[in-house]
Parts: sequence; structure tokens; C-alpha cells
Amino acid sequence: MNLGARRMSTVGSDEEAFEDLFTAEYARVVGIANRVLADPHEAEDVAQEVFIDFHRLHSATAQYAPAWLHRAAAHASLNRLRGARRRQKREVAQALEEGERTLDPQKQLEVDEDRRKVRAALGRLAPKPAAALAMRASGLSYAEVAQALGVGIGQVGTLLRRAEAALLKEVTRGTSN
Amino acid sequence: MAHLTDGTLRRMVDDPDARVGDNAVHLAGCAECRGRFENISDDARSIATLLAVPDAHVDMPRAFDRVRSAPVASPALGLRLPVIGPGRRPIVLAFAAVLVGVALLVGVIARDYALNYTPNTVTTVPVTVADIQALSQLSNYGTLTWTRQPQFQAATSASDAEALAGMSAPVVSNLPSGISTNITYGAMTQAQAVFTFSADKARAAAAAQGNSLPTLPAGMDGATLTFTVGPAIGELFGELKQPAAGSDVSQLNLPQLVVVKSSAPSATSTQLTPKQIEDYVLAQPGITPELKAAVQAIGDPSTTLLIPIPVGYATSKDVTVQGVKGVALGDNTGVGSGVIWIKNGVVYLVAGSIKQDDAIAIANNLK
Repeated sequence: MNLGARRMSTVGSDEEAFEDLFTAEYARVVGIANRVLADPHEAEDVAQEVFIDFHRLHSATAQYAPAWLHRAAAHASLNRLRGARRRQKREVAQALEEGERTLDPQKQLEVDEDRRKVRAALGRLAPKPAAALAMRASGLSYAEVAQALGVGIGQVGTLLRRAEAALLKEVTRGTSN
Repeated sequence: MAHLTDGTLRRMVDDPDARVGDNAVHLAGCAECRGRFENISDDARSIATLLAVPDAHVDMPRAFDRVRSAPVASPALGLRLPVIGPGRRPIVLAFAAVLVGVALLVGVIARDYALNYTPNTVTTVPVTVADIQALSQLSNYGTLTWTRQPQFQAATSASDAEALAGMSAPVVSNLPSGISTNITYGAMTQAQAVFTFSADKARAAAAAQGNSLPTLPAGMDGATLTFTVGPAIGELFGELKQPAAGSDVSQLNLPQLVVVKSSAPSATSTQLTPKQIEDYVLAQPGITPELKAAVQAIGDPSTTLLIPIPVGYATSKDVTVQGVKGVALGDNTGVGSGVIWIKNGVVYLVAGSIKQDDAIAIANNLK
């Protein structure tokens, strides 16, 4: 984590700014992707791709840098979710490692099934509510979510409510049958 | 006071900043809103549980090394391309409208001496917001009138759209997974607009800004430019819904993928040679040196459709699509990308919330 030592070898303030940006935002960007994908390794892949794309195209001193990274992380990970059916299997395996083994096996199966459904449904949501939910669930503030999505802060609650209602509908629809 | 909206109640669940003022007073005194608030809180908690994951333990130095060692590509024409900051949605919308004007204008100034300009290939030219603002003042230099208004019509079938536009609809043969197969068609008839330069208007505009007008070439006053665009067919992939009355724009589902096919635009002029128009436009005070250099650097502009790329908003690269040169915009994050190319006098565009690789694959397989 000692990135400061690397400062000696970097040239130019933009490189330093990029390093500072990376230090400040990498874990948060991984956090957003991990919330969507429920796979820390894949989330790191997404986060690195996002930073590589950012570094290619933008100045790290740009004011919009964190917002760009957050939005790109949400969209890139949601795209992966949509594109990869294999994810569903991984989620269940992942959930078993989450320290919820105090639940009885039947209950655990239900929780796993709900998790699988909610992520499948997340991939089917309109991009904006899905991104809002992923960002907020990963700990971004309302103001940060608003900035990343280019909406007013008042709209974030609406997007979250829309996403949550749609996801719950999917989950309960399955269990009530 | 009216009842609180679901969005407001949702924000009050976990944003202390929202639990103040009139809304907080209303919630405390309104049994109906409290009931809804409880339901919304319960839903939020359930979803939080379902989305819960263990924290990812990141190896930051290793990750930084990987990111730093990735090859850095050069953006188009060697310029860096930043994003328009979030929270500036109205600007972006206005900007999109203005881009059309810019495309027409730079298209015209890029003509050669032939009277008819019909592009058969595409290339990009970087523009700044300042460039666009300068060019959006087109109305200060003359009058734009439609001699043939475009007609737009949404259609539910390709055959309806084809009937209106008089051209065959493009067919996407390899839709990426995750993209809806629900297609909404749109058709536009051919349209024609005439721009007539006015020396008086231009002089007044310059005077209003405290500048004197660059010397007008003889014949500039009253010179006309006639633009012809379309016909065109657009296909919008996605579950589009009409927004409910009073709802905000964010409630509208945007298309995931857009495919457009249009006859290449053409332009003709009277009284002036294109070279004179080009020189005059590039002499305007609002044109940046970068834009001027970029326009002048285009090798053979007579047959090239210039695509303005906002500096800092997107990057572009040349690609080969269906055997001809095209331009790919955007990147591989899936936030947005597109491909544009011209083949046999027809302009094609494939764009959406997809990866650039997917956009290129769709373009190559478009029928």
C-alpha cells in the first residue's frame, strides 16, 4: 500500500494526480463492482479496467474524475452481470462463505436462491436505477451517487425506490409460486 | 401539504440530511406517509441484506502496477478528451442539438470546389465546448429555413418504417446478450434546409460583442447554403416506456442500443466557393486554433463527413467496418460507445450502452 514511495519515480504532476486518485478511489471502485458481482476477484478486474480506460482518456486532475470512475464501475460490472450466466453459480458459492452458516440449511438455501434472483434481476433493470442501487449499497453518499449519474440529489431516492421495488417483486414472485 | 413521494420517503430512510424541515414535520403527523415509510424502509433493508457481500481485500500496489503498465492509447488527433462534468445535463442536451449544426457547418466548410458535396467516408475533428458555443451562434449570421420539413414517425414494424422512409431497414444479426430484442422503429423523410448569410446580422452580432466583423468576402451577403438530410430509419432496442404524467425524465427507459441508417447528407451553395466559406468561418473570433488546425489538416475534405468529437467527452479511433473506413467512439467500459461509417452513399450508426468491441461486431454484421 506504500504507493507514496513510487512518487519518486513518477514524472509530472498528472502522474502524481493519477496516483493520488488511484489511492483515494480504487477501493471504492472495487466496492461498487463487488456489490454487483459478489466476486472480489472479478470486481478487481473491473476496477482495473475502469482505471485503465480513465487513464487513457482523461486527466486525473479533472473534477469529474471520481464521479466518472463510480459510474463506469457500476456500468461495467452490471454489463458483466448481464453477460455472464456463470455468475449465478458463483454467487451461491460465494454466499456460503459469508458467515451466515448459523442459518439452518433450508433457510440458507432460500437466502442463496433470493441472492441469485436479486442479482439476475439487477442485470435486467434499467441501467440508471441499477447503477444508483449498486453505488449506494457500496457506501457512496446520496450526493456522490447524484454526481456520478448526473441527476439531482432529489432523484436518487426515486431511483433507489424504483430499483428496490422491482428487485423485491422478482424475489417474492418466485417464492410465492 | 401533499403526501411525500416514494423517492423522498426512500431518501429519508438512510439520509439524515433528508429528515429535516417540512418533510420531517409532515412524516411525523401523517399516518399514511408513516405507513408507506415503514414499507419502504423494510424493502430497503431486505435489498441491503440480499446485496450484502464480504468486503473485497484489495492489493493496491499490485493493482496500481497493472494499471500503470497498461498501454496508453492516443486519442484522436493527439488531443486529450475529457468528459463533460456530471450535473450538467441541460448543457449536454443543448450540446447534442448544437452538434447537429456543427456537423452541417463543418461538413460544408470541408467541401471542395464541386457544387455538390456528398461524403463517402468519415473522420473525426475534436471540438471544444467553446467551439460549439461559437458555432451555435449561427443564427447571428443569417437565417435558417426549412424548405422541406422532416417528418418523423414511430413505427412498430420494420415494414412501416421502410414505407415512410423509402429505404430498407437495417437488420442486426448478432445482438449481444443483455440487450432487449424489443425494437421500436422510427423513420424520417428527406428534409431540406437553406441557410442564407446576412451581412447586417453578422455585423450586428459582432458589434454586440464589441468585435468588428472579419471582412466579408464579396458575395457573402445573401449567399445560400442548402442542406439535404435523410431519409433515415432508426431502430431503438430496449423496453421503452412512456413516462407517466408529471414524472421526471429519469423514469424513462433509454434504449440500450440504437441503429441508424440514413442517406448521406449533401450540401450545395450559391454565390461563394466553399473555400471562401471555409476561410470566412475559420476567421471567426470564436474558432479555436485547435479546431482550425484540425479542419485544415483533413486531407481530402471534399468527400469526407466530419464528425465533431467534443474534446474531453469521448475518444475515437479509426476502424474498418464492412470493408470501409469507419470511426469508433467511446470505450470498453460499457458506459457508451458507437461506430459510424459510410458505405454506398449511406451513413450508418450503431451506438448504445455497450462495449466498443460489441458495437464494432454489430456494425460488421449489420445487414
